[in-house]
Amino acid sequence: MLPIILLSVFGIVLLFLGFLKTRAVLLPAALLFILIALGAGFLEWNKSYLYFGDMLLINNLAILFSTIVLISAFMVVALSGDFLEDEMAQPAEYYAILLFSIVGAMMMIGYENLIMLFVGVEILSVSMYILTGSDKRNLRSNEAALKYFLMGSFATGFMLFGMALLYGAVGSFTLTDIKSYILLSHGRPSLLLYMGELLVLIGMLFKVSAAPFHFWTPDVYEGAPTLFTAFMSTVVKTAGFAALLQLLSVSFSAIYGFWWVILAAITALTLLAGNLTAVYQNSFKRMMAYSSISHAGYLLIGLAALGQQSRSALVFYSLAYSLATISAFGILLLVAKQHTTDGRPDESYSAFNGLSRNNPLLAFVLAVSMLSLAGIPLTAGFWGKFMLFSAAVDRGMVWILILAVLMSAVGIYYYFRVVIAMYFREGQAGRIRVAPFYQFILIAATALTIILGIVPGLFQNIM
Amino acid sequence: MQPTQAPIQIPEVIQLIDLKYYLIISTALFVIGIIGVLTRRNAIIIFMSIELMLNSVNLLLIAFSSYRSDPTGQVFVFFIMAVAAAEVAVGLAIIVMIYRNTRSIDVGLLNKLKW
Amino acid sequence: MLSLLIFIPLIGSLGVVLLPASMKSRYKWITLICCSLELLLCGAAYSAFDPTQSGYQLLERADWITLPLGSLGVVSIDYLVGVDGISLPLVLLSGVVMLVGAVSSWKIDARQKAYHALYLLLTSTVIGCFVALDFFLFFLFFEFMLLPMYFLIGLWGGPRREYASIKFFLYTLAGSVLILLVMIGLYLSVMDPVETALRVGLIQDRSEATDEVIRQVQFLLSEYKIPSNLLVHTFDLRHMAKGGNYLPDSFLSVAGEVMLMGIPSRLLAFLCVFLGFAVKLPVVPLHTWLPDAHVEAPTPVSVVLAGVLLKIGGYGFLRIGWGLFPDGAAEYALLLAGLGVLSIVYGGFNALAQVDLKKMIAYSSVSHMGFVLLGIASLTSEGINGAVYQMASHGVLSAMLFLITGVIYDRTHDRRIDHYRGLAGAMPGYTALTAIAFFASLGLPGFSGFIGELFTLMGSFQSIWLPGWMTAVATLGIILAAAYFLWTLQRMFFGTLWFRPEAAGQLTDLDGRERLMLVPLAVLALLLGIFPNLLFDLTNSTVADWIQRFSIE
Repeated sequence: MLPIILLSVFGIVLLFLGFLKTRAVLLPAALLFILIALGAGFLEWNKSYLYFGDMLLINNLAILFSTIVLISAFMVVALSGDFLEDEMAQPAEYYAILLFSIVGAMMMIGYENLIMLFVGVEILSVSMYILTGSDKRNLRSNEAALKYFLMGSFATGFMLFGMALLYGAVGSFTLTDIKSYILLSHGRPSLLLYMGELLVLIGMLFKVSAAPFHFWTPDVYEGAPTLFTAFMSTVVKTAGFAALLQLLSVSFSAIYGFWWVILAAITALTLLAGNLTAVYQNSFKRMMAYSSISHAGYLLIGLAALGQQSRSALVFYSLAYSLATISAFGILLLVAKQHTTDGRPDESYSAFNGLSRNNPLLAFVLAVSMLSLAGIPLTAGFWGKFMLFSAAVDRGMVWILILAVLMSAVGIYYYFRVVIAMYFREGQAGRIRVAPFYQFILIAATALTIILGIVPGLFQNIM
Repeated sequence: MQPTQAPIQIPEVIQLIDLKYYLIISTALFVIGIIGVLTRRNAIIIFMSIELMLNSVNLLLIAFSSYRSDPTGQVFVFFIMAVAAAEVAVGLAIIVMIYRNTRSIDVGLLNKLKW
Repeated sequence: MLSLLIFIPLIGSLGVVLLPASMKSRYKWITLICCSLELLLCGAAYSAFDPTQSGYQLLERADWITLPLGSLGVVSIDYLVGVDGISLPLVLLSGVVMLVGAVSSWKIDARQKAYHALYLLLTSTVIGCFVALDFFLFFLFFEFMLLPMYFLIGLWGGPRREYASIKFFLYTLAGSVLILLVMIGLYLSVMDPVETALRVGLIQDRSEATDEVIRQVQFLLSEYKIPSNLLVHTFDLRHMAKGGNYLPDSFLSVAGEVMLMGIPSRLLAFLCVFLGFAVKLPVVPLHTWLPDAHVEAPTPVSVVLAGVLLKIGGYGFLRIGWGLFPDGAAEYALLLAGLGVLSIVYGGFNALAQVDLKKMIAYSSVSHMGFVLLGIASLTSEGINGAVYQMASHGVLSAMLFLITGVIYDRTHDRRIDHYRGLAGAMPGYTALTAIAFFASLGLPGFSGFIGELFTLMGSFQSIWLPGWMTAVATLGIILAAAYFLWTLQRMFFGTLWFRPEAAGQLTDLDGRERLMLVPLAVLALLLGIFPNLLFDLTNSTVADWIQRFSIE
């Protein structure tokens, strides 16, 4: 709970810091604030408390998810050095909005009451609408913001209608009340409950971009400034899945038989849509958007096969995915600046041609993150997939498993296109100057990916 | 449902109509909102359709809340209204931004990104 | 000792990466020294190995990863290496072939640092694959072998290298995800009796684990007396090979009552494993990556690819398909043998039709590896001994054949068979060694190829699972081999000397380095052909033990 309050205050402090003449203080301040929030979160480790009139539950699972969110945010902020040089940008506002959006994500992670879920989702989403459109003079950014805004509010509408129906059935918004209602209904809960659950699920699946509610994702990811795309594809996804996990495991585990088929079908569809479309992309950034859809599919396996293993598997997978995704976008940010076509950065695969020759470090970082996303052993991504697949086998969901495994083979194809471009193609990429701190973040993320790949037990022991 | 209580309360007025009619009308409003979002091309109208969806939810929540004599539903309605206002502020700002750049708010003209 | 085999090249690889670029000329020496050390260590392992014993020897074990699975107990992954009579010959083979490959890499000029680092990494993973006794460790090496290979083909290959390398990568990877599926199913179904006994409290220390204790744990397991949160799931292949360690009612339990799509899940798992390794072996119709990869790969990479990597398919199939799913092997013996015969014949006919020397040899590999599959499918002692023998023999011979192609390609950058005639006049030494390699490969008695093919055919003829005509069709492969090798020999080397004018002055005979690579291989092929017991002594007791266990089950 402390991090939520701290971050809200820090966000306002950052806005005031924006009045200072020197912009240089903003970045370290934002990083420091995030670190403080991270440390404050661990004060509540191993204690399970309810806050705000039983509306927010902070337990170890919530702290772990919040940690992933904070780490992602830390990395994104650390990679944002460019804003300080850009005259048009308003870094104080951006950082403040980022901090506020983390507050929303944390509320989504720890909610115990549907009202809290709604408020959290909206804080996060509204912040993201603004950040997506932050490149005000760029038409693509405008368009992405509008699409994101319209689709996001549309999804919120579904979620709210579902919540209202749940309220009609149960008479309360708390997750435990929903659970006891289901348990007391002797297996015959009201139809409103089923409808409500479905609509809330649809709303949330919109947010985490699961098929068939994924069509906005590629446009928004492509149009948004790359840095915020990185933020969107990690923080929003992690928080969304934490929220779904909370909802399904606390409230609806008693009617697992009803929803698992639906989720399994959506999982299969998401895996197919994400992976097969990603193959046909020519823009790296757009490929990453489809890749984020496909990773939503893998994460959905953990929900569809809800069980003992899925919690730790989801946490681990989110962490592995976030690390790899942010470093990939970090490299894209650097590379795309080098080439511009029609006045905008070149984000296609060919921008990476010959990167390994003059920038071996950047090429290595990107290669490792691609390997991790593809799920090659000795990277964190492999263990994430391994744990999710084990959970699926444990539930006997062999069909999903076979599909997921085949799709991860497809994934290798498109992840390796950029590896081919970097190592096998000739390009005139000169040496790219990278700020030391930027470099440090990239190396740290890569090292963490590899360490988690070699000794995943390290992380499991914390759980 | 509580005829013994002396002052006339709004819930009683609401309860003159059967709950299922509230359910039907709010569902109808909700569906109209969905259709509006899916068919209209003007960003403002799409936006209004979304507001219609949110308001149908408000109506439903209030109906449920008074039928159950439970205040949390109405509390939620206040949250929805507050958040919707925030959304309107951001949403209109985005639309204004686009209008400044393109002199149009037709979503059909936004095709820089593959839809 | 086996760990040294894995880690020496790994350290060498790191060394190459860390050395500054000014020491460029040292890289190949590092590779050479590492590979020589490997061969010496292989020799030491050979002398330390007791061929009369049938179990795993030279075991080394360390705890690696322990993951809690909540109510499912824990899963333990160990660093566990060891060899038995089946893996040792292949380890020896890798030692030889990797050293030859290192010598053959001498002429690589472009990006030496990356090349030698990747080559050493490849060496390490190849050896690791053969000695790993933990399924996870095996899978790790199996997957990780792909990356250096992918880059070796993709960076130093011919004009269509991008296509060839990604094709190789995707094919093998599609196979390995099937293996991953089975691996997940297996570890959830198998427990480690010793560790479980520790957790249940039957024993206090690992050293107290006698056979009696293990039997007791297995009995408790079959009676559902062990709570599931105390189970220790394992990837240890030794435990996976014992039916008693399978959880009753688990996904792959030995009783085999779980059905998927109307097929018992164990048989399905066997098919998955088979498909996974069949890509690597390769088995027709999954072989199409092989000719492409070979044609584009530089000579040393081709040598390693044909000499060692294909064997991992056969080895993995023996160790995992056959070792863990003997029921599946019996059920599908006919299918497997049929595919083996198809590979033999199809590969042979294709080889006959090629005009590119390297492609011809690649297809002859497909044909020869078909014998391995046939031998394994026969499920007889002769067949399996013969299959291992054929793998070793083909490793030596195909390395030699690809080196021979490399020799002519280095000189003229042209590998078309019909662009040369009467080379015997210009390059007598080369012709002699080529003739030896060709004759050995086509199965001339006195050379290793003959013994391998003979034993696999004998095995398949005796097998109770296979009809006699299959063996008869398979012998067609030998005739085809004679046809394409002799025809090539005749077209390229005999007659009056003729070559395309561009090649003038380039057709010099073998130099010392090339002789150094080819002559020992030729001697080895001859040695194995005359004294087959050199290998059979190693394999026989292990195979006999397997066959015995197989007939019991």
